[in-house]
Amino acid sequence: MHLRMLLPTLAVGMLVLSGCSQMPSLPGQQLPPPAKPKAEEPEPIGKTSPLPPAEQPEITRPPTSAKPSEPPPRSPKEVSSSAVMSLIDSADKFAREGEWDRAAALLERALNIEPRNPFLYQRLAAVRLGQKQPQQAEALAGKSNSLARRNPFIRGDNWELIAEARRLSGNASGQKKAMDKAEQYRLQSAAYQ
Amino acid sequence: MAKKPRKRPQARKRKKTVKPRGNWFRRLFAYLFLLACVGCVALAGYAIYLDGEIRARFEGARWTLPAKVYAKPQDLYAGLELSREALIQRLQRQGYRPDDSLTSTGTYRSSGNTLDIHVRAFSYWDGERPARKIRLTFAAGSITEFKAMDNGEDLSLIRLDPLLIGSIYPTTGAGEDRILVQLDEVPDMLPAGLIAVEDKSFMSHWGISISGIARAALADLKAGRIVQGGSTITQQLVKNFYLDNERTLARKAKEALMAILLELHYSKAAIMETYLNEVYLGQDGSRAIHGIGLASYFYFRKPLSELQPSNIALLVAIIKGPSYYNPRRYPERARQRRNLVLDIFYEEGLIGEQAWREAKASDLDVGSRGQATTARYPAFIDLVKHQLRGQYDQADLTEEGLRIFTTLDPSLQAIVQRQLSSGLDAVEEARGIEAGKLEGAAVVTSVEGGHVLAFVGGRKAGYAGFNRALDARRLIGSTIKPFVYLAALEQPRKYNVLTPLDDSPLSVQLRNGDVWQPRNFSRRSHGTAVPLYYALAKSYNIATARLALDVGIPNIIDTLQRLGYPEQPLAVPSVSLGAVNMSPFQVTQLYNTIAADGYYTPLTSINAVTTAEGEPLSRHQLSLKQVVDSGTNFILTWIMRRIMHQGTGTGAYNVLPADMEVAGKTGTSDGGRDAWFAGFTDNRVAVVWTGNDQNEPMNLTGATAALPIWARIIKNIDARSLMPQPPENVATLPLRLIYAPGRVAYGDAGAQQMRYSRECDDAILVPFIASHVPNGLGRCDSDILSWRSSGPRDDNNDEPGWFERLFR
Repeated sequence: MHLRMLLPTLAVGMLVLSGCSQMPSLPGQQLPPPAKPKAEEPEPIGKTSPLPPAEQPEITRPPTSAKPSEPPPRSPKEVSSSAVMSLIDSADKFAREGEWDRAAALLERALNIEPRNPFLYQRLAAVRLGQKQPQQAEALAGKSNSLARRNPFIRGDNWELIAEARRLSGNASGQKKAMDKAEQYRLQSAAYQ
Repeated sequence: MAKKPRKRPQARKRKKTVKPRGNWFRRLFAYLFLLACVGCVALAGYAIYLDGEIRARFEGARWTLPAKVYAKPQDLYAGLELSREALIQRLQRQGYRPDDSLTSTGTYRSSGNTLDIHVRAFSYWDGERPARKIRLTFAAGSITEFKAMDNGEDLSLIRLDPLLIGSIYPTTGAGEDRILVQLDEVPDMLPAGLIAVEDKSFMSHWGISISGIARAALADLKAGRIVQGGSTITQQLVKNFYLDNERTLARKAKEALMAILLELHYSKAAIMETYLNEVYLGQDGSRAIHGIGLASYFYFRKPLSELQPSNIALLVAIIKGPSYYNPRRYPERARQRRNLVLDIFYEEGLIGEQAWREAKASDLDVGSRGQATTARYPAFIDLVKHQLRGQYDQADLTEEGLRIFTTLDPSLQAIVQRQLSSGLDAVEEARGIEAGKLEGAAVVTSVEGGHVLAFVGGRKAGYAGFNRALDARRLIGSTIKPFVYLAALEQPRKYNVLTPLDDSPLSVQLRNGDVWQPRNFSRRSHGTAVPLYYALAKSYNIATARLALDVGIPNIIDTLQRLGYPEQPLAVPSVSLGAVNMSPFQVTQLYNTIAADGYYTPLTSINAVTTAEGEPLSRHQLSLKQVVDSGTNFILTWIMRRIMHQGTGTGAYNVLPADMEVAGKTGTSDGGRDAWFAGFTDNRVAVVWTGNDQNEPMNLTGATAALPIWARIIKNIDARSLMPQPPENVATLPLRLIYAPGRVAYGDAGAQQMRYSRECDDAILVPFIASHVPNGLGRCDSDILSWRSSGPRDDNNDEPGWFERLFR
C-alpha cells in the first residue's frame, strides 16, 4: 500500500501505518525517544513567526518544574477503560492489515463509549490517513488536540499526523509548520523523560 | 380420452336425424355427455392455467419486504453507568425473561448485585455475533465488572441485540410487513399445534379434506348459515395467497382446485413454511402484521426460537381472528381461546401436564399496547427516511428487506416523550391555556458524533401526524443570539466578554422604508454600557441588535451556515433577534456544533445499512470540521453557562443539581407564539420547542414554557456536567461579576475595586483570548470595563491579529 510505504518517512515514525517491517508502534503505545533540540535555540514558544490560516497561536506554557513529577498520559492504556482498550487493540490489528474501514468502525464504536478520549480521535485520524482522507485526518487530529489540552505527548503526535495529512494534500508549507509544531511538543515532552 | 367418445355420439346423432322422432331422452343424454366432456376439457385447461399461476407465485419472489429499522444496540461493559434495575427493564422490553437455568438465549438471572444474561446471537453490520453468556456486577448504579461465563473467546464488552423499532413500508397499499422465517427456525410446537387446532389431517390430505368439509357442512346445516369453513391449511394459504375474500361457491371450488394443485407440486413442509410466513396476525395502525416471524416480535418482542408454549398457543389462537382475538385489545377473549388451544396441545401430547398447567396460568405477555410497534417512533422513523432519501430508492427501502441500524436510544426516547407530554400539560395548567392546545417537539443528540438519540415530533406518543421536530419551521427568537455573539467574539480585538454594549433605544431605517425599532422584553433600556456577557445572559434585544449591526448581518448568517444551518435567510437586521424560521432539528444542529468544541458534525440518525442477509451496504462515517476556534467556542460556552447561573436560564436549577454545569439559551417569538430552549451538557444536546400549530399567540416564554421541560429532560437522561477547561489560547482571570443595570458603574464599582486584594472569594474565572486580555485588567477586578478601559489590549500591535487574517 502506497501509504504504508510513505509513512515510515515520518521524522519520528510514530504510526500505525508504518506496518512494513516489524510491529509498528501506535501513537502513545511506545513513543520514540524525544528528538534532540536542534543546534540553534528554537524560537521561544508563543512568539512564532506569522502563522498560516487555520492555526492558532498556542500560548503554550513550557512545563514548570513541578510538572514532570506527574506526567500527563502518554498511552491510551492510562486513561481508557478495558472495553475501549479491547476495541483499540482490535482496531490496531485491522489497521496493521490495512483494513482501514473495519479499524475505523471499531474506533468509532469506542468513541461512543468514551467520546472525550483524545487517543481515540488520534487513532481515528491515523486511520483516515489510511483511508486517504487527509482533510478528515487533520480535523480529527485537531479535535484530539482540543481534548488533549496541554498534553505534549498527544499533541506532538497529532501535529505529526497533521503534517502528514498536509503532505498528502500537497500543502508543503503547512506541512513544514506542522512539523515545527510537533517539534515544539517533542521538546516539551522531553521535560518528562 | 376425451376426444374419442365425442365423435361417436355425433356420428350417431347424424344417423338419427333420419329418424328424429326416435328417443329424445337419448339425445338429451348425449348432449349432457357432450357438455360434460367439454367441461372436462375446459376444467383441464383451467387447471393447467391455475397451475402456472400457482407455480409462478409460489416459486417467484413471494413477498416484498419492508426495510427493518433497529434502535442503537446497547454496549455493555465495565464502567458503564447503568443500574441493574434499568438494565433489567431494558431486557424485559426486548423480550428477555428471567430463567435461572439460563439455557435459552434471551434469558437472564438476577441475584444480589449481579446479573447474568444469555445474550442473543445477532447479525450486525460488522458481522455475526454469536450468543454469549455474561455476568455483570453492579455497584452504585454502574457496571463494575464484566465477564464472559461461557467458554467463548475473551470479552470486554458486548452489544445487546437491538430493539426492532419499525419498518419502512410503502405508504400506499395494504402496508404488509413481515420477517421471513425458515421452517427449521420455528419451534416444533408451532406447526404441530397449528395442525392440531386448524387442520388435523394436514399431513395426510391432498389439499382438501372431505371429512373436514363434511363436518363443516353439518355444522353449517345445523346453524342454518356458514359457521365453519372446513378449510385445510392448504386452502387457507391459497385463499390468502391467491384469492380475494369473496365467499361464493365458485370461489370455493377454485380454492379447492388450487389447493389440490399446490399439494401436487409442493411438499407439506414447503406449504407449511409459506403458510407461516403469509398468515395475517394483526394490525399496527396502517401496518399489517404478517407471518409468525414478525408476529413474534410484534407481540412478544423476541425471536421465534425463544417463544414459550403459552406464546405459541396465543399465536395459534390469534390466527383464527386477529382482530377479534387481539390480545392487547381483548385480553380476556384472547386468553380464553389461548387456553382452549393449550388444552388441545395437551390432548394431542404436544405439551406435558406441568407445562400445560403453567402455560394456562401465565400472563398473555404481550406488553402494553403499542410497545414494540412502529407507532411508537413515527417521528424518528420519518427522520431516518428523510436521511436515507437520495441514498436509496424508495422501492429498495420498501421491498428488499434492508436492515437499517439507527442511533435511537429507546429508553431515552421514552423519557423525552414523557417529559414533553407532561411538561405541556403543566404549562397549559399554569398558564390557563385550553388543554390540548399546545404542541411541542424535542430533540436529543450525543454531542460527539452527532447521533440523534431521541426525536419527539409531538406531545402524543406514537401519533404519526405532523413531525414538528423535522418539519415545523418556527421563529427561533433569542435562540439565535449565541450566534450573534459568536460572530462578534470571533473578532477578539474588538470584542471580549466584558466589552460594554449599548442598550439604548435603536431605530433603523430599512431599505423598504420601514423603521425597525427593537425593544427589550421588559420594554426598558439598560444604558449604554452593558457588559457583553451580561447582555447575552439577560437576552437584551437592543444591545444585541446594535452588536449585530456592528458585526454585520451577513457575517452572522455566515456564522450560522458554518455551524450547519443549510438555508439562506434574508439579510435583514431582525435576523439578529431570531426572525428566522427553523425546525427544532436545525436548531439542534447549530447547538451541537457549539457543544462539540466548535467542530461541525452532521447530525445523523443512521449508523449502518445492510441487506436482508446482513451484507453491509453503507456505514455512517464520523466526519468533523472545525468551524469555530476552540478558544472562541470556549468563551461563548462560558457566557452560555452564565445564562444558566444569572440570566434567563436560572430556572433550570429548580430541577438540576446546583453543581451541574450546563449551557443554553431561551428563545421566545412575538406574542409568545414560540417558546424555545436549546442547551447542552458534556454529553447531551437537547432542544425543546413549544407552541401552537396554528401559530396563535400563546403568551409563552422560553424560560417558563420550554426551559422546565428541557431541565427535566436533562435531569433524566444521564447527562454529565460540563467540565470546562480552557484551551491553550485562552487565559482566565478571576473577576467579580458585579454589574447590574442601573448601578452607577463608576462610583459604585470603582469604589469597591480592590485590585490586588486576595479577598475575592466570590470571583469567577472569566475567559479571554490570551492575546487580547483588556489592558490593565487584573485579578479580582470587577466586570465593569467602561470606567477604566474601553477596549481590549492587542498584543500583536505590529501585525493584524491571527483572527483577522483567519476570518477576513
